[in-house]
Amino acid sequence: MNGTTTMAMFRDAVLDPAKRAHYRLAWLSTVDHKRIAVLYLVTALVFFVIAGVEALFMRLQLAVPNNHLLHPDTFNALFTMHGTTMLFFVAMPALFGLVNYFLPLQIGARDMAFPRLNAFGFWCVPLGGILLHFSMLAGGAPAVGWFAYTPLSEMPYSSLPGTDYWAIALFVTGTGSISFAINTVATVISRRAPGMTMRRLPLFTWINFVNAFIILAALPVLNAALAMLLVDRQLAGRFFLPLGGGSPILWQHIFWAFGHPEVYILALPAFGIISEIIPVFSRKPIFGYEFVAASSVAIAVLSMGVWAHHMFTVGMGRTLDVFFAIASMLISIPTGVKVLNWTATMFGGRIHFKVPMLYAIAFLLQFLVAGLTGISHASVALDWQTKNSYFLVAHFHFVAVGAIVFAILGAIQYWFPKMSGRMLSESLGRWTFWLMVIGFNMTFIIQHFLGLLGMPRRVYTYPDLPHWGWMNMLSTIGVFFMSAASLILVWNILVSFFGGKAAGENPWKAWTLEWATSSPPPHENFIALPPIRSRRPLWDLANPDRPDPVVGENSDAVTLPDHNKVGILSFIFSEVGFFGVLILAYLYFYAHPQPGPSGKDLELSRTLVFSICLFASSFTFWRAEIALHLRRHRLMLAWLGLTVILGAVFLVGQVTEYWKLFQSGVEVGTNVFATGFFTLTGFHGLHVFIGLVVLSIFLWLAWRREVGAGYGTSSAFAAAGYYWHFVDVVWVFVLLTVYILPLFR
Amino acid sequence: MTTYQFLTTAWTWNSIVVALSAVASIGYFISFGQRGRPLYFVVAVVLFLLSFTSPVSALVNGYLFSAHMAQHIVLVLIVPALFLLSLPRSFSLGPPLTYLTHPLIGWVAGVGAMWLWHAPTLCNAAATSSVVSALQSASLLFMGSVFWWQVLAPREEQRLSPPAGIAYLFTACTACSVLGIIITFAPVSICPVYQHPVDRLGMLETIRGNWGLTIDRDQQIGGLLMWVPMCAIYLAAILAQLARWHSSPQLEQSNA
Repeated sequence: MNGTTTMAMFRDAVLDPAKRAHYRLAWLSTVDHKRIAVLYLVTALVFFVIAGVEALFMRLQLAVPNNHLLHPDTFNALFTMHGTTMLFFVAMPALFGLVNYFLPLQIGARDMAFPRLNAFGFWCVPLGGILLHFSMLAGGAPAVGWFAYTPLSEMPYSSLPGTDYWAIALFVTGTGSISFAINTVATVISRRAPGMTMRRLPLFTWINFVNAFIILAALPVLNAALAMLLVDRQLAGRFFLPLGGGSPILWQHIFWAFGHPEVYILALPAFGIISEIIPVFSRKPIFGYEFVAASSVAIAVLSMGVWAHHMFTVGMGRTLDVFFAIASMLISIPTGVKVLNWTATMFGGRIHFKVPMLYAIAFLLQFLVAGLTGISHASVALDWQTKNSYFLVAHFHFVAVGAIVFAILGAIQYWFPKMSGRMLSESLGRWTFWLMVIGFNMTFIIQHFLGLLGMPRRVYTYPDLPHWGWMNMLSTIGVFFMSAASLILVWNILVSFFGGKAAGENPWKAWTLEWATSSPPPHENFIALPPIRSRRPLWDLANPDRPDPVVGENSDAVTLPDHNKVGILSFIFSEVGFFGVLILAYLYFYAHPQPGPSGKDLELSRTLVFSICLFASSFTFWRAEIALHLRRHRLMLAWLGLTVILGAVFLVGQVTEYWKLFQSGVEVGTNVFATGFFTLTGFHGLHVFIGLVVLSIFLWLAWRREVGAGYGTSSAFAAAGYYWHFVDVVWVFVLLTVYILPLFR
Repeated sequence: MTTYQFLTTAWTWNSIVVALSAVASIGYFISFGQRGRPLYFVVAVVLFLLSFTSPVSALVNGYLFSAHMAQHIVLVLIVPALFLLSLPRSFSLGPPLTYLTHPLIGWVAGVGAMWLWHAPTLCNAAATSSVVSALQSASLLFMGSVFWWQVLAPREEQRLSPPAGIAYLFTACTACSVLGIIITFAPVSICPVYQHPVDRLGMLETIRGNWGLTIDRDQQIGGLLMWVPMCAIYLAAILAQLARWHSSPQLEQSNA
């Protein structure tokens, strides 16, 4: 059976509206990466309007001194909701949507590696967003800032459920982001078209591939922090409460260990967009592809080690400050390299000043300002002066809006023709662009000066000091320009979608593979792919007499790694971060012992017995895999069944231990040791339980002889095995830190 | 003793180290002559000598944990890397040593060299007994070489592929950073010897007063050295891997 007939049958069976009863739900039940991408973008737009209105209200309140338009608590809730929504429910989904649409197209894939996981990742976003906003109906929105510093965000100080909704909402979207990152890694590694080697990846794809690793490293850290905060709030835990030995500063460390990489999680995709737009509209290949690619890796690694520069004003001591000041300044090197590459690409090119290029140029200028004020904050002394002022507000809005939002807007103008088949209006696009440039700069340039004049951030109003009034008024007026720009953009999208100029396959004469198919692309993305020998396959196709030099070796015959394996390894990579934080937090409190129960009160011998069961289950699983390989069905069933039993015995052991501790009066909130112990072992137990569910499903499938025997599930079986072994390895570390370490005290 | 006096007089003539350097240098030039990259070798030997004869070594001897950490990093990461880089392309290991070239063993050696010697008991022993100290230095050089072999082996085919090399270096970097973080924030001493230095050189007042290196700050700097600058070494190696990846030949257009 050849590919065309399969595709035709597939189309008849699945895509034909008449044969698909739930067609009207197609957008809700879709697993097509293109539709999911559009859902991401629409969701981002909805939340953009919400968070934009929140910003508008804040600016109205701040327009004049001593204003009483909003209640102070309302203002706190507004800036919390604005920050959280813009970062997690606007910027991330918008960028993920663009990646979801164009990354598979750029590598010539038919879809993401895990289409259903993709849908799961997307639906986490509206679920999280709705949870966050539902808090308003459930007693009040969170008012603790997007950073939720403890102890302010703890029960004694924020007793309403808004903060719980905030934490759960972020946990849900964080989980979605992690699944998106797993999918991205697996797609790039396992779903590339023949000829699309890793060295030939378009920069947008490469940068987002690198970015996926930052997501995998950083989001689990946030999830661990949120889990700890929820344990504190819901189970009377003591992690971040100074009363009872907890440490509020620890929250800041963990939060910024996520928070700083988060900046790059948003910035790197923007860099990817700019790296696509600038060459196309300068009619030149990117200058120094290798430098753009490698500097992204440098940024990724550095971003994870410099979080403490968010904490210079906490009082960590001069030693820490000095090291982190230097490390933070280092990041400006790879970012500076990128800016040089982009400007050098434009240099000597035939620049077409279309709207996407206008956004890219504005991005360059505004990102330069953002970078320079950023470096100024790496200097500890200056940071102390400006950290809590509007200077910082101006700085991060230059990053978040001036760079990231401008890149997203440029990307929409650039890729809308591919998504809809119609061009966005160039003239309306110019209106949006110029109003946005004027409005953005009017709002935020002045805030640098406001900050230097001493206006603190996070205040709901301010006294009528010299110059503060007109500066704030100017800043507020700018918001209206941005609002007008947004309205024109929405209008432009609506008008162009229904009556725009037909785009054709490749309206910008670009060179990457997404332009080698119809607009919008068919469900299977490509009818046929051009040969891929360089980084610009469509240039080679259009200019057969002077193609780009071939990059690397042609490796058409190479089989790509199994996507199940890549996926589960990426997942394990993210889990290391989650458990790493919990273990480090446990160790931190272990080093600061509190009165009450401690690790010495745990019963080591019983735990060792149950631990041996768990470790043995890894061995039995390995035997089951061998039996599967040898096609010895009953032997495999026996080994797998034994694995499940051993895992269950371990869980029973843990339940007994919990029960005995409860009996002797040790509960989660007894002291910080108990909080750490129950959180760490509890989350491990949860992982064992999930593993048992997965293994039981396989046991059932194996019983029905559906594992291995030509059903293609053996690689999924191996993936489940990786997970199971990983859970055991985590237990080795838990056993060492929780049970063995106290023996040496 | 003032800082100036210290920097000028605290040089120690460690005859074993000098003899070892001399033997190694003679051995190197007899075996390889000019075939390798002698410059790397010379720098490696000089760093090796400096870390045992310079005033830093005097500080390592019971004064400063941070100095110990600096020496540790030089011995485990810098000297072995330079040594491997100095070897000629034709160099290969004999049969009994080939089992050391498994990536897992390399990784464990590199990370283990960091963690093992910072167990308080071992760290203390190395700072007080010269035999243990010598053992430590030798093991650091050896484990560092085993670690770097995966990315800096003389022959291209003995090295990990660049993407695997990046994963290898990144995970090692993370594992060492975690230890750096623990040392930085640990309220207890990792190496209790340095809490009560025997003031053999009369330097303690200068160190604590003029240099401002209190016990806590000393350990913090030690941890931070492992956490931040050491990461920069791994990062440089990661970038070198990327450079290696992208510098493999760009084929000229053959079917034009």
